[in-house]
Formats: sequence, structure tokens, C-alpha cells
Amino acid sequence: MRIEFDDGTLLLRDASDDTPYAEWDDRVDEYRAQAYRYRPLLEWAGVWADKNEQSTLQDGFDHALEDAARAYPALDLTPALHIEPRDYQQAALDAWTNHNRRGSVVLPTGSGKTFLGLQAIADAGVGALVVTPTIDLMNQWHATLTNAFGDQLPEPIGVLGGGSHDVTAITVTTYDSAYRYVNEYGDQFGLLVVDEEHHLPPPTYRQIPEMTIAPYRLGLTATYERPDGKHELLEDLLGPVVYREHVDDLAGEYLSEYETIHMSVDLTADERETYDEEYKLYRDYVDSHDFDLWKERGYQEFLKRTSYDPQGRRALIAKQRAERLARTATKKLDTLDNLIKRHHDDRAIIFTANNDFAYEISQEFIVPCITHQTKTDERTEILERFRTGEYSMLATSQVLDEGIDVPAANVGIILSGSASKRQYAQRLGRILRPTDDRQPARLYEIITEDTMETYVSQRRREGVNA
Amino acid sequence: MLTANLARSRTTDETITPLFIDPADERYRETARELIQLFEDHLDEPKGELEDAIDELTVADTDYKIVQGLAKLLKDECKFEVVASVDPREIRRRLFEKANERYPIVRQPTLGEDTQKLEVYSAIADELGISLEDCYRGMYADLEDNKRLVRIGTRTADRYERTGDASPSTTNLTGSSAEEYEHTDLTVDWLLTRYNLALAQAVLYDATEMRIRVWDHFGTVFSYVKLFGLMHRIYPIDADGDRVSSTDQATGYEAVLDGPASLFSKSQKYGIRMANFLPALPLCDRWEMTAEILVDETTNETRQFALDQSEGLDSHYSDGKRFDSDVERTLAQKWERANTDWELVREDDVFDLGAEVMIPDFAIEHPDGRRAILEIVGFWTPEYLESKLEKIRQVEAENFVLAVSERLECASEDFGSVADRVLWFKTGIHVYDMVEMADQYATGHAPANTDQ
Repeated sequence: MRIEFDDGTLLLRDASDDTPYAEWDDRVDEYRAQAYRYRPLLEWAGVWADKNEQSTLQDGFDHALEDAARAYPALDLTPALHIEPRDYQQAALDAWTNHNRRGSVVLPTGSGKTFLGLQAIADAGVGALVVTPTIDLMNQWHATLTNAFGDQLPEPIGVLGGGSHDVTAITVTTYDSAYRYVNEYGDQFGLLVVDEEHHLPPPTYRQIPEMTIAPYRLGLTATYERPDGKHELLEDLLGPVVYREHVDDLAGEYLSEYETIHMSVDLTADERETYDEEYKLYRDYVDSHDFDLWKERGYQEFLKRTSYDPQGRRALIAKQRAERLARTATKKLDTLDNLIKRHHDDRAIIFTANNDFAYEISQEFIVPCITHQTKTDERTEILERFRTGEYSMLATSQVLDEGIDVPAANVGIILSGSASKRQYAQRLGRILRPTDDRQPARLYEIITEDTMETYVSQRRREGVNA
Repeated sequence: MLTANLARSRTTDETITPLFIDPADERYRETARELIQLFEDHLDEPKGELEDAIDELTVADTDYKIVQGLAKLLKDECKFEVVASVDPREIRRRLFEKANERYPIVRQPTLGEDTQKLEVYSAIADELGISLEDCYRGMYADLEDNKRLVRIGTRTADRYERTGDASPSTTNLTGSSAEEYEHTDLTVDWLLTRYNLALAQAVLYDATEMRIRVWDHFGTVFSYVKLFGLMHRIYPIDADGDRVSSTDQATGYEAVLDGPASLFSKSQKYGIRMANFLPALPLCDRWEMTAEILVDETTNETRQFALDQSEGLDSHYSDGKRFDSDVERTLAQKWERANTDWELVREDDVFDLGAEVMIPDFAIEHPDGRRAILEIVGFWTPEYLESKLEKIRQVEAENFVLAVSERLECASEDFGSVADRVLWFKTGIHVYDMVEMADQYATGHAPANTDQ
């Protein structure tokens, strides 16, 4: 028989009735199987050749099989990262390869699952697809893979999702994009790496591993078990758990060493006048209607009112205008100006939660900028150049999580101080490292005095839950 | 098409129905008018400004989903482009490289080495041979908000008019090209009827199976089934929609549509394809559709969604060319003038060949009930001929006849069991030759011969 990849399934032409996993399709008068039965079918027919073994031809084999399904390339790769695998990472990799390269590895967050993924890709030596839940994670994998294998491949690491559609030998994608396109590309990858695999069991995403032929599969997660018990499906789709590492076994939290410097600036006279006007308008409306804006529901109610109450709408606009004034206060830019002068020899990351402002800073000070709109390949390029020192500053509206794709900086500057951004400060702080012994790493927070920003910042420090 | 968050439908215990709007309702006509005007006012303006204007309109109107839905459909008819003299990424790269050499770039220089941004922008502008303004504006011209609206429907902003610019606009979702539907002038009527069709399409995103019944335009319908990657099971039906045993007795066809993996389990994976296919149905004079819609993924609960031509939906798909060739057209014309009881009917039969469908060019019918089926094999490329012959060989019908051009490089044997039902022709087909063939091979009711 001849197996072909057909729109996310395997068409088995001239298959015998005893072929396993095959269902008769009366629409085309042939047998059909789900794509992930590719390797089991080849094994059954006696023609599966694992990379380290010779193809075992059985004497007088009864099931002659022509493989017209495989469209993935063999690759010869060595990870170019100069990091030694930790003991448990090596153990995890060994467990996976010993289990025919089909299985899940459960590792706590922060223990280097990405690194394990790289090792697996190099070891499997075939085209690979890495599936992740979010665009952020997809971007991180892209940067890491480019770093590790960029020079060894004829084409760049592919991106499928977040506005990009470039499928190459090694490609990163999101669950949503994988679900949408798997029927088209399911034959082009020999290794399927599923990050945060506990998201995989729902009927939609489940089709991702079902519609790929990839003979090698690696699932990665910190939390394997699901309350609904559906994690049991993972064993059939990706393989069993081959390695588990517990939290206690790992080293303690990384302590970052940096000092925080709070700076506040004043609005100019004109800005102050407009700010006070707008803010009063907003506050009057809120007070007269008794919304508790610190509670999520209170805020939702306020927003709902704005959709049918013209005064409410005006109040919303007033709030937005006031916020904008506080955020982009001229003196903030002046302060930034001074900080840049002071630290132009350092490696600095400028953070603002607002996209538009990030671009303004980029154009004003001519520094590279990363936002959620930045295409994956450009983001990787910017980070790469920041790492090598080609760029010594960058602006971003995204949190850059600690990971092997984000290079260290010794100066961080945060340009807005509203409540929810406090956590950004902590995370940004984590990637700061001092460049020499005399100077600690520094994190500057610049807020506008006597505005919502100060008020919010104060509440935070008083420990009020927002 | 509408994004899932703009869908509007009502679900009962058994059914799910789109919340269609009345295109004659003045409220909606006013909104449509305003939106169209908004778009026209923003021709050659940045997309961000258009989006802000649409949002303003939305806040004032309580039917947020409807306004945004209409706006989305208008955007689908528009082209937004990056307008920059040099690739923005290139501009950025050079600017950052140059800037890095010359840090710090400051607003108020205090030291001798402090650079001002103007110097850097000028330097790069010179390097790239563009103006300072182009350099500054072009830097982030590729951001979504900065793209410019260069075309609405058939209207293109003047400075982007290019003669003979037939760039096909393909939508990733449908994969269909501009040939499949005509860019129309955007009118209120067009927008509101298009909206209703889009609401129906949105319900289909979660469809696991679709059944259709059609009584005309078979060729068109089944070519769209194939175009959108749907698989089919076809059953001939009569005028009431009940199944009959053969295509000869059929006035219409019922088809069950789904995808390859539907064989293994119910899946909404093909819902998008069914949504893309839906606009083909209103091309028919009479049609019906029911679809099974998945409403709860965890419990596999479904609802029925039914639609037919009485809903008044309009299609924006093209219904294909009338005749495949001059030979066919000429035959049809000659037949009109000829003196015979036999009637030439266009594309009246559908043969299910599994992965494909075969729709012969004509049927030849007699008032007494006899029928023959006719396929014309004209002067084709070898590849096209080969694929057609393969189909022809699979058709099992005794009343299937062929008219084959002598200019072709093929012989009787190529036609398999149909070989003796072939009429060879030189330049044109003669009506009476065809009538003779029909007489000889037609099946079905023959006049009762009482003195036999």
C-alpha cells in the first residue's frame, strides 16, 4: 500500500483489510487513518527506520508500504549555546531518547524547559515544529532557536502566527495558528514540541498532534495533571511522562541586585491646568454615581455607562486625557534625556506600558523599540544586537521575561507608575545585572507628581490591594 | 467575513439562528450611510485615524456589534498599504546603527559630543536618498495604524492609480482570489445584504457537518465545494427533496459536506470552509441548507442551523462562465433553431466519483421521458484531456454519450466502455447526428406500444 498525507490525515491507498488504525472512507473508496498513526503504521509494516538504527526489513514481509507522506527533512545540528546542561536536564533528555523520543517531561517553571527543547531538536535531527500558548512565548522560543541554530540552517527560524506566515525547517507557532494550519503543514515536521502541553487536550487543540505525522514528540509542562482528567489523552497523542522533576530538587530563587530610584516630575503650568480640569470632570462624574473603581466590577459598570450616557462618555474621555498628560509629561522626557546622558555608556532598557509612548521615545531618542506589534524576526534581531552590544539601549512596552533570550542590562528606566505596572518593575528588575563591582544595577521609576500616578503609587506602597 | 466576536445569533434548545437585520430599516441604512461616508472621507489617510473615527461612531450607537460588523466588512473591501519610499525596517536599522555610534542623542545638548536627533535623521535620509520628512515618517510606516487606506471597493486613491495593476488580492482565510468575486461599488444595499450573509457565515465557523439541496446551477455549486476543500456524498433527489434511485430521475441533488478527519470524530475544523462555501448557494434559484453547529466543546452538544432561498440572501461570488467553449455555445444555438422534439438541457446531471464530481455538459431529453447524457470532448491540452477521460471512464450510465473532436490525439479505446457511444466531429456538431445518438441510447420511459 501507499500512504499519502491528505489534508491532515493519511490516505492509505490499496491497503489491506487488516491494516491497523484504518477506517474505510466511502467518500473516496479507500482506507484512511489519522496522521499521528504514521509511525505506528510504518512500524507495523516493518519499514520504520529510527535515525540510530538500520531499517529492519523483515523476511518476506507481508505488508509492503510506500511512504509518500513524509515531507520533513533530516537536519544535522549542534546547539551553539555555550551553556552546560544541568544534571536533571541531561537526565530528562536521556529519558526521552530512551523512550523512542516520544514522551512528556514535567519540569518546574524557570528550570530551563526551553533549553531541553533545544537539546531534543538537535538530538532528533529532523525538521521541528514548536507549539506554544502565546505570542510572547512564541517570540521567546524564536529568539532562543535563532541563537542556537541560526547559523546552521539555510533559512531563518520560521514563524507561523502573530502576523507572520513563514514556514521553514524549524518553525515556532501558537496553538491557535497550529490548529488552523496543521492540515496543511502536518507532513513537514518530524518532531513536534508542545510547550505547556496541559493546554493540549481540548477538542480543538487536540487536533494539532492528531493531524501531524511527526514520529518524534516532546511535551513540556510544569503542571501535567488537569482537574478534568483529560491529561490522559496526552499519553496517546504525545507519549507517556518520561521524566519528572520536583520543585524541591531545584536551586533557590535568583536574587537580583539592583537599587531602585524613584523620581517624580511636575507637570508644566499648561499641562497642570488642563490636567486639573479633565481630572475634576472625571472625578465629579464618578463621585456622583458612586462607582467603586478600585473593584473590577465597579470599573466595568463605569465603562458600561459610558456607552449610553453622553456625560459618562465625556468622563471617560476626560480620564483618558488626564492619564495621557501624566504619562507623557514633557518633564518626563527631559528627565529621560538626563538619564540617557548619564548612562549612555551603559546598557539600558526603557520601559513604558503604553505602546504609542514607546514609539514616541523610539523616534525622539532613536532607540530600537519592541512592542507586541513587532514582528518576531525583527524582535529577535533587536535582542541579538542588544546582546552583542551593537545596540546599547532599547525601549519596550512589553515585559521581557527572564529567559535565555533576554540579554542583561544594568540600567532600567520605567516611565509610568500606575498600579498594575508595579509587577512590571519587579520583572524588569530581575533582568538587571551590574556590569562591574563598583556600580550596582539601577532601576529608575519616573512618575508625575500630584496626579493619578502618584496617588496610585502611594496606595501600592501602603499595601492596598488594587 | 466577520470575526467570531462580532457574530450575533440566537440559540434555543434545538436551533441556532443568526440575528438578521432588515435592510429596509432606516436606522441601519443611516448607520451604513455614515460608515461608507467615513471610509470615503479617509481615503489616503492613516488606518489608525479611520479606526478611531469608527470607534467614535460606535460609542454613540448602542448596537456596537452591528456597527463594528459593518465596518469590518467595509475594511475587507479596502486595501491598506505601507506607504514609504524605502522599506521601514531598513530605515529603522540604519537609524539605530548610526545612533548607536553617536549616543547620547539628547534633546538639550550640554556637552560637545551630544548629538541631536536631527543630525542622525539627516544623515540617514542622505544615505538613502530620501527627504528628511520621508525618513521620519517612513521609520514606522509599517505599523498597522500608520498604513494608508489606498483603495475602497473599486475606488483607488488618486496617487495610487496604476494602469493595469491587476494585483490579485487574496484573503488568507478564503484563499480565494479576486476572480471569485467582483469588487463592487460600496452602497448601503450592498453592505446590509452582505452583512446578513456574513452573520450566517459566522454561525458556520463551528459547524461539524453541512447538508445542502440544490435544483439548479450544479456545476457552479460543486466547483465551489471542491474549491474550499470540502468532501461530499451526493444523492439524487426529486422536486420534493426526497431521494430517488438514479440521476436520470433526479431534478436535484442532496450533498452531505464535511472534511477528511470527520471520518474519525465530529470536528469544527472545517467550519471555516463551510462558511466560505455558503455564498455559493444563493447563486442557485432554489436551495436549502442545514448545518450541525457545535455549541459546547466539552459536552459535544450541537444545534441545527437551517437556511434556504426564502431568506433573501445575495451572493457576491461569480457564477462562472456560461459555456466552456464555442463548440458548446454553437451547438446550443443550432439546437434552438432545429426542428426536433428532443430538448438540450444544460449541466443537469451530477455523478459522484468519490474525490471528484463529474457534471456532463448537457442532457438530451424527450417529452416522453427518455433521456441521454452528453459530454463534449473538444480540442483540449493532453493533461486536461487525460483527467477528463479518467472521469469519463468511471461514469456508469448506459445513456451516457460523447461527442469527440477528431483533432484530438485519442482513439476509441481511450473511452473504455463508452467507446461505441462516441460521435466524432470535425468542426462542429450536427444537431440531427446528436438526435440520432439520443434516440439510440436514451433510457427511461418509452411510448407505450399497445400492439406489441
